[in-house]
Amino acid sequence: MSTETVDPWHAMLSQQVADSAGAHSSLDQRRQSASEMFQQSGFPTRKHEEWRYTPLKSVAQGEYSALLPADGVLPGDDELATTSDIRIVLINGRFRDDLSDLTALPDEVSIRGLAGMLAENPDFVSESIDRLIPSDDHPFQNLADVFLCDGLVIEAQGKTDARIHIVHAQDGSTSSGSSHVSGLVRLSGGAKIEILEEFRSRGTTLANIRWGMEIGSGCEFSRQRVVRPGCDVLYHGTRVQVEGNAVFRDLIAGSGSRLVRNEIHAILSGPEGHVDLLGGYVSNGDEIVDHHTVIEHAVEDCTSREIYRGVLGGESRGAFTGMIHVHQDAQRTDAEQSNDAILLSRSAEMNTRPRLEIYADDVKCTHGATVGELDDESLFYLRSRGVGLEEARRMLVRAFTAEVFEDLENEALKEQFIEQLQEAMPAAGESKS
Amino acid sequence: MSAHENEGKMILDVNNLHASVEGSPILKGLNLSVKPGEVHAIMGPNGSGKSTFANVLAGREDYTVDSGSVSYSGLDLLDLDPEERACEGIFLAFQYPVSIPGISNAYFLRSALNAVRRYREESEVDAVDFLQLVREKMKLVGMDEKLLQRSVNDGFSGGEKKRNEILQMAVLDPKLAILDETDSGLDIDALRIVAEGVNALRGGDRAFIVVTHYQRLLDYIVPDHVHVLSEGQIVRSGDKTLAHELEREGYSWLESGHAREKTQEAS
Repeated sequence: MSTETVDPWHAMLSQQVADSAGAHSSLDQRRQSASEMFQQSGFPTRKHEEWRYTPLKSVAQGEYSALLPADGVLPGDDELATTSDIRIVLINGRFRDDLSDLTALPDEVSIRGLAGMLAENPDFVSESIDRLIPSDDHPFQNLADVFLCDGLVIEAQGKTDARIHIVHAQDGSTSSGSSHVSGLVRLSGGAKIEILEEFRSRGTTLANIRWGMEIGSGCEFSRQRVVRPGCDVLYHGTRVQVEGNAVFRDLIAGSGSRLVRNEIHAILSGPEGHVDLLGGYVSNGDEIVDHHTVIEHAVEDCTSREIYRGVLGGESRGAFTGMIHVHQDAQRTDAEQSNDAILLSRSAEMNTRPRLEIYADDVKCTHGATVGELDDESLFYLRSRGVGLEEARRMLVRAFTAEVFEDLENEALKEQFIEQLQEAMPAAGESKS
Repeated sequence: MSAHENEGKMILDVNNLHASVEGSPILKGLNLSVKPGEVHAIMGPNGSGKSTFANVLAGREDYTVDSGSVSYSGLDLLDLDPEERACEGIFLAFQYPVSIPGISNAYFLRSALNAVRRYREESEVDAVDFLQLVREKMKLVGMDEKLLQRSVNDGFSGGEKKRNEILQMAVLDPKLAILDETDSGLDIDALRIVAEGVNALRGGDRAFIVVTHYQRLLDYIVPDHVHVLSEGQIVRSGDKTLAHELEREGYSWLESGHAREKTQEAS
């Protein structure tokens, strides 16, 4: 990569480092070193193993290097059928107190804007980030470190089962650019939290969102993420530590975004923990969807399940990289991974890389990957009952992706996810009743 | 249409039909005429082309029609897509009904019914009317209502799958129903229930082609005509007594018969 292409980013980073110097010594240090790492490595090219199927050329070229304006407007997507009564809105990376509603927040749960915490208790932020998101030479992590200014801190302690709706909105309607959000989550004392995390965007925007989480013993964290159509570039990274008897569940649904990179690194660090990662997506045109997961079974008696399903049309590309790392002491691990894709056009492409590293001997690990077309038998069956070819295809695609959402209890939300994917289906033919 | 006109009119007229799969010929000059309201049984040994014939009529694309013609209600059947054939009133009950995880039986059936109704320029049925209709038809085949909310044929027993086929037939109200080895994999009780469902749908102008290897299905669904298919041709036709004859004598006479033919050809 020529230095020229990264120049706008380099200039932005240097400026940011200079502007923020002297605020807090350990945060300064982390910012400084992230900046240096980025200046050195920049955005990875496709020669980089971890980024082979995710071209960042357009991101590197600088359209996104400016920060999005602080005073964006919430894009008016249809509201989701959430059952949450707690609503958090972040626009262009800024926690918006004025648009958020925390009145129903139970006593056991606290939600704070990261900017406020940085001003009030920078030591806490610094320590938490270092612990939950260890520094790493990763392009988006580096940017998040350098541009660290806002985000969320969610803490729950004790018996509670709060449901929280978080909207990340990028408003690039006046000028293009990026936003960088860091979220910190800590659950303890058997807390249960459910989060619906939604991504909306207008214009040329890069949303760089990262989460560091600690799910304490016996706690449960369930998250549903939905990437609404029209999002431009979304990097979303989660690093989560799951302690004994704790559960981390994630589901991501998406369609109609130019580039989505979803990274999850889950570490099962206490016995009888469980991790559930699900994803369903439809891509079209030249869109790119990349799911990149690492599940570490660090101790014995944990289970994990991973199911990703995609339908790819046009010249779109999908990638799945799924590492399951079973440490030596992680006996009686039960890990299940599957990744299936249907290609609706000859120019669409899916790259699947399951990676199993197993160092324990009493382990059940299964993985399966399929890439194919719609099943001819099923198509003929539907057609033989009078259903037209186009509608039959849509029904089968719907069925294929809908299976991912099967466990979702909120039926109305489930239907919205399924509908969104259905509407993104290429070659829309006759409408269904 | 007067009864007289109807009498001479064929619902299906198959003329010298040749079809192949992946280059190997299966049907080698099949002729068959079916009048409205008639029940025809097609029997024959494995590999004689029975299922191929049933599937060619429904429009399965794995089979290539090499020559011959099929006229259905005055239409060139071979010119129609599978869904058009279904909408025109052809129904194939599959030998191996397909499971479709993720699509509920109810959604599947209603989509099919409404597709057919749209084609016939009838108004679509809403969820309430549909449920009423389907419940009534489910009684006909003794099917558990719980199966409506389950995915299509997913985890169904053999008997449930076949009953589901007959349910679909009942809902879609075809003019020509083709049963492809509907008796295969069924115990006698399931067979009886399925046959009762079919018999309830007999009558009027609806015609049936019942493809079966064994005579036992024909004890329950009594045919007007029985045809024996061998090596892609109908080699004998008769009334229901022919089925009993086949039951007694099996299909071995066909082999000896063909052996004779071959000897003649050789000489």
